[in-house]
Amino acid sequence: MEVVSESHESVFRLDNLTVNFPGQSGPVPSPLQGLNLDIRANEITTILGASGCGKSTLLRTLGGFVLPEDTGGVLYKKQFLTGPTTDIVMIFQENNLYPWLTVKGNVGFGLRFRKNAPKDLNKSVADMLSNVGLADAARAYPHQLSGGMRQRTAIARALITRPQVLLLDEPFSALDISLKRRMHSLIHKLQDETDISMVMVTHDVEEAITVGDRVLVLGGNPAGVLVDADARGPEMRDRYSKEYLNLQKEIEEVIF
Amino acid sequence: MSTAAWDKAAPWVVGGISVACVIAAWEIAGVAELPVTTVLPPPSQFMAMVIESDFRIGLGSQSATLWESLTATFGRVFGGMLLAFVAAIITGAAISLSRFTTWCISPFLYLLAPIAPIAWIPTAIVVFGINNATAIFIVFMGVYFILTIGTLAEIRRVPAEYGTVAGNLGASRWQQWLFVVMPAILPGVFTLLRTNFIAAWMAVLVAEMVGLRDGLGAIIMMGRNLFNNELIMFGMLVIGVSGFIVDRSLALIGNRVLWWRV
Repeated sequence: MEVVSESHESVFRLDNLTVNFPGQSGPVPSPLQGLNLDIRANEITTILGASGCGKSTLLRTLGGFVLPEDTGGVLYKKQFLTGPTTDIVMIFQENNLYPWLTVKGNVGFGLRFRKNAPKDLNKSVADMLSNVGLADAARAYPHQLSGGMRQRTAIARALITRPQVLLLDEPFSALDISLKRRMHSLIHKLQDETDISMVMVTHDVEEAITVGDRVLVLGGNPAGVLVDADARGPEMRDRYSKEYLNLQKEIEEVIF
Repeated sequence: MSTAAWDKAAPWVVGGISVACVIAAWEIAGVAELPVTTVLPPPSQFMAMVIESDFRIGLGSQSATLWESLTATFGRVFGGMLLAFVAAIITGAAISLSRFTTWCISPFLYLLAPIAPIAWIPTAIVVFGINNATAIFIVFMGVYFILTIGTLAEIRRVPAEYGTVAGNLGASRWQQWLFVVMPAILPGVFTLLRTNFIAAWMAVLVAEMVGLRDGLGAIIMMGRNLFNNELIMFGMLVIGVSGFIVDRSLALIGNRVLWWRV
């Protein structure tokens, strides 16, 4: 499989990234110790790895929710991230919709805090809802939605604020296979329309290859990039193509 | 009647029959002139007395209609509860947003909470005199501390991700409190308020019995002073029915308006 080496603009540059967690008797080291990596802009990067390899910690660090040691860090727009920013929006595994708000209320939630929010908020929300196929569910509450609808609401809530980067932490792990595939199509559609940079953590090899433009496999301790593969093109969306199967084999040999 | 309809109606039907049986037994005891009915006159006796006096209770210039007694008591209870509710939310916000405020307020909160509201009555009478402010203060003291401690527990129950998501979408700390924490804790705090209604209700009745000259608690005291057991029983009935109606109304509001759980 072709290892990506061509030059692209980076959205994130990880420079000697080291993350330690606070513990009762001093810092507890995470697997992320001195990691260097570029994550390219305007594409979908999927990150795979065995449990505990540091992929979710990495994602949270990219979002500014976890702060690294000051020996290095995450460069975003050539500056070290020092905390969460509205440019980078994260969608969590638990989608955390607000139960007291309707779908419409949840999707429009972030707009009220934006100085440059569109004047016609209702129209923006309606457009976003139809974009994610939730126009008919605008007045429903989260507990009345299916798992897929809830995740679509969470994605719409994140995208309506027009972030530069969308971070997704195993967002479809609780969905059944057919729903998962519909959500993958939605992610591709939204990425094509907005050209937004996306980084998605998953433990599902199939999902990583079919969704990602670039697949990274993290592993080892300290964590390193074991596989860095280009997964662009229609052949990678075809689960029976030679290219797809080769990459799947390569990844599975590394992970398992 | 379908099973679903019966399941819905059963508590009311069975409860109603149960109450009717007790009243019937009570009335039979009255007709049989059992000694106990001298202290506990049956409803037919005390209701007849109140209807005869056109629902006006008391003597001369100190008499009041039932409606006046009800509005006086409810005004005090709801006034005190509303103040306690607002103060508990404000205290909860102050404590959850600042560690310094937590250190300042917490000792008072946990020191004053165990003091029964009745214990505040002498102080309240000295400070406010014998008027509505005293009763409202007693209700406030009976509800505020428990409600504040409960509000803090509710705040701790709000998933951290709710705030993280809001902050990530651009909400400041105050906006997170206003648009996320507040709605998240409201149903729980309201349930606590409902639970504490009984405490507030008892506190105001005691205040009315020992100090104030009007309200439902004063009816009981008037009955005692006049050796009028019918009046005492009528006062107890009104207190019980009023408390029941308010509790059900608060439960309805909780279920219909503040229905969500986090």
